[in-house]
Amino acid sequence: MSRDTREITVTVNGAPKRLTVPVRLLLSDLLRDVLGLTGTHVGCGQGPCGSCTVLADGGTVRSCLMLAVQADGMEIETIEGVAAGDGALHRIQEAFREHHALQCGFCTPGIVMATVGLLRRSPHPSADERAELMEGHLCRCTGYRNIDAALAALAGEG
Amino acid sequence: MAVGLVGTPVRRLEDHRLLTGKACYVADIVLPHMLHMAVVRSTRAHAEIMDIRTAAALAAPGVRLILTGEDVRDLGPLPCIDLFPDSKPALHRVLALDKVRYVGEPVAVVIADDVYAAEDAAELVEIYYRDLPVVLDLEEAASDAPPALLYPEFGTNVANICRQEVGDPDAAFAGAAHVFEETFRIHRYAAAPMETRGVVADPTAQGGRITLHTSTQFPHLVRAFLGGVLGIPESEIRVVAPDVGGGFGAKCEFYPEEVVSVVAARRLGRPVRWIEGRQEHFVATTHAREQVHAMRAAVDADGVVTAVTLKSLTSNGAAMFTLATTPASISSAMLRGPYRIPNYRAESLSVLTSKTPLAVYRGAGHPQAVLCMELMMDRIARDLGIDRIDLRRRNMLTKQELPSDRGTAIVLAGKVVYDSGDYPGCLDRVLELAGWDDRLRRQAEARAQGRIVGLGVACFVEETAIGPYETGHVRVDGSGKVTVLTGASPHGQGTATAIAQLVAEELQIPFTDVTVRHGDTDVVADGVGTFASRGGAIAGAAARLAAHKVREKAVLIASELLEAAAVDIEWVDGRAAIVGVPGRSVTLAEIARRATAWNSLPTGLSSFNLDEVAHHQVPGISFANAAHVAEVEIDRDTGTVRVLDYAVVHDSGRIINPMIVEGQVHGGIAQGLGGLLMEEIAYDAAGRPLVSGFQDYFLPTSAEMPEIRTGFMESPTPLNPYGMKGAGEGGTTGAVGAIAGAVADALVPLGVRVAGDGPFTPPAVMALLAAARKGAGA
Ligand code: FES
Ligand code: FES
Repeated sequence: MSRDTREITVTVNGAPKRLTVPVRLLLSDLLRDVLGLTGTHVGCGQGPCGSCTVLADGGTVRSCLMLAVQADGMEIETIEGVAAGDGALHRIQEAFREHHALQCGFCTPGIVMATVGLLRRSPHPSADERAELMEGHLCRCTGYRNIDAALAALAGEG
Repeated sequence: MAVGLVGTPVRRLEDHRLLTGKACYVADIVLPHMLHMAVVRSTRAHAEIMDIRTAAALAAPGVRLILTGEDVRDLGPLPCIDLFPDSKPALHRVLALDKVRYVGEPVAVVIADDVYAAEDAAELVEIYYRDLPVVLDLEEAASDAPPALLYPEFGTNVANICRQEVGDPDAAFAGAAHVFEETFRIHRYAAAPMETRGVVADPTAQGGRITLHTSTQFPHLVRAFLGGVLGIPESEIRVVAPDVGGGFGAKCEFYPEEVVSVVAARRLGRPVRWIEGRQEHFVATTHAREQVHAMRAAVDADGVVTAVTLKSLTSNGAAMFTLATTPASISSAMLRGPYRIPNYRAESLSVLTSKTPLAVYRGAGHPQAVLCMELMMDRIARDLGIDRIDLRRRNMLTKQELPSDRGTAIVLAGKVVYDSGDYPGCLDRVLELAGWDDRLRRQAEARAQGRIVGLGVACFVEETAIGPYETGHVRVDGSGKVTVLTGASPHGQGTATAIAQLVAEELQIPFTDVTVRHGDTDVVADGVGTFASRGGAIAGAAARLAAHKVREKAVLIASELLEAAAVDIEWVDGRAAIVGVPGRSVTLAEIARRATAWNSLPTGLSSFNLDEVAHHQVPGISFANAAHVAEVEIDRDTGTVRVLDYAVVHDSGRIINPMIVEGQVHGGIAQGLGGLLMEEIAYDAAGRPLVSGFQDYFLPTSAEMPEIRTGFMESPTPLNPYGMKGAGEGGTTGAVGAIAGAVADALVPLGVRVAGDGPFTPPAVMALLAAARKGAGA
């Protein structure tokens, strides 16, 4: 890898980090390979699948399309930070489990992170808001109906 | 508590890890001193390799090793396990030697310190080609004068011919009142799991053993194949399928990267990782489906189909991969589905073409067969003026006619003998669930308003739960907790949960006391894997049989502990109790501890430990069945096909967990829908695939999916001790038939005849509509 590096400061799941990173390092690789947060998955590395979705300053981003240096000064949240410290599932995760909204689980962290972001902005998202969220996520296993059911339940329509 | 656990929708044991980011897929594995591999792939569809220059790449920063075909010249090709005795063994090499035969064929690998360096250096490998003619069209490839021979030594591109012959089709055609003919074209698409393939080859285990972590559906078979290609004993190899992000058949193949990464790792003495890129995936992982079926049907005056003949071609791409003849074999063996059709002949050719190798994908050959049969049924009904449901009923095998020896056979799996099911009952149920009559009425109204709406129905029978066997090993340790080792290798199916349900019910213990382990050949000594809808039914049966043996042994040990005869002991709530003596019982934990090595051998026992292994040998294929109904509407202005409504009644025998089975059906329907309406791997005239990723290979999203109403029937199979059949693939198989039928039905009033599976993308549908307008104007 090119030796060209930069120093960045990022907060990841609440923990501040000062890191020296190659300028071409992707945020997804920073999370996965440098920080060992492998819950963020790379399904395409091209933007369409959404499996690499994380929150950056509260907004959803595709970590495969963002450079680590672009995250300088930002607060990043990943799937590893969602459940409680004692391992108890977050209510979003609980809803996914309850509605069988995952099979292989590869796409799941990205969808859960997007849902965390959505519910913060809009605690009772409308069907349109939920559909808009799901436009950005591919899942090859579930056929989506159970994911939609989990999201509806979280919106209070279950 | 645990009694009655089977058949209930318990939530999955797998989910907590998957939901919290704690799963471990192959790309999550990081080993000390690990290096990274990039694969240099052919950019030509058919060419001689004149020269490969690697000096510049070798000099690039961080590069450790480059291997080309010359370096692995001595390694055998990758096996194809379903070749027929007279097949042409057009086998794929680990790295191309002298020639390339498809865009994407591995030519060289570069191993470097990090993946960025490996990929940069891969760009510097210079390959000089001399182009040869390509052969893309299936009929041309199979002809006597093909534009090219992929393997001139065979003198033909036809690698295999699979034949089926039942009854006397010639006599039936001679006496037929009507003969129908149609050629159905089925396009090429792909499984495209969300996790691409990947490997980590680790040569650093004790004694120089190799560990291969690979995203596969059948680790034990990979171990055997790798041992075979490298010429080393299986005991030198450990294969681990970690968490796998979907497979759908595409990971039920043995791939060159699984060999070359090991070769490189052994040379360098360091672990080597390769993770397939998404663009790479579309040329490097097997494709699916592409077939041409020329079908004829003989029909009597009452609409009874008396005979069918089939000539089919499968575009196998440039080599016969692990399960290469299976699509042709299944589609020819299963074409008649639930219909009696007493006379049948099929000749199914597996044909080599200048494309990525093609093999199995969810449903294998079934979706193609169902598509052809059901479109043919609709056409017969239409042309003879018979109601299409009525026509199906007239031809359908009844419950009383089962078991029914169909006279055909499926490669590797065996004779086709339908075991159990109620096909007409299933059709009735789905029509009721769909509200068929009401829908017909509303369709007529919609048509009167100028809308283009269609209804499709597909009935099918499907091979599931194939053998040869599966293993289950149940072990109770001193904690009283139960560990199950299974030879299945699930990757999203929830098989661990299903197995835990079966074992917990057998031992009458809480479901959460059971841990199921799989996928590591050092942990599970023997196994076959997860494919062909076999995991739950076959591995589940093996595990439950082992649990039953454990329970029997536990009773013997308890009889010593309780000083009672075994016949006086009953098993209640995970304890051995003396019948009629309340309070006199021992727990599973106490029994397990009595059997440990630091005690004496319990009286009457010949072995220590509460630990039993079972093999479930499969006596024959069990056949699931289902009926699907789809309603579609086509937008006249954009050509978009929308599936408005979907109903399915599925019968896969005894159900272990209805929530999981329904999830399998949903996911299957989405894949069928995608294949028909959205997904295609097309090639240009030079043999270059026109797909580079999900930006031009469109998978269904939530927006494309209809509501799905699901009903179940449970016809137990006598071939499984617990009556279970497989449920993994039926959703896809049925959806292909039902949605294609609905699209065809929608277009009937416009004079468009559908003979194939599209894909019915908006531009393709616009072209059909335009052609229909022109035809009408002419
Ligand atoms: S991995 Fe980032 S969008 Fe697919
Ligand atoms: S659960 Fe497998 S891709 Fe979504």
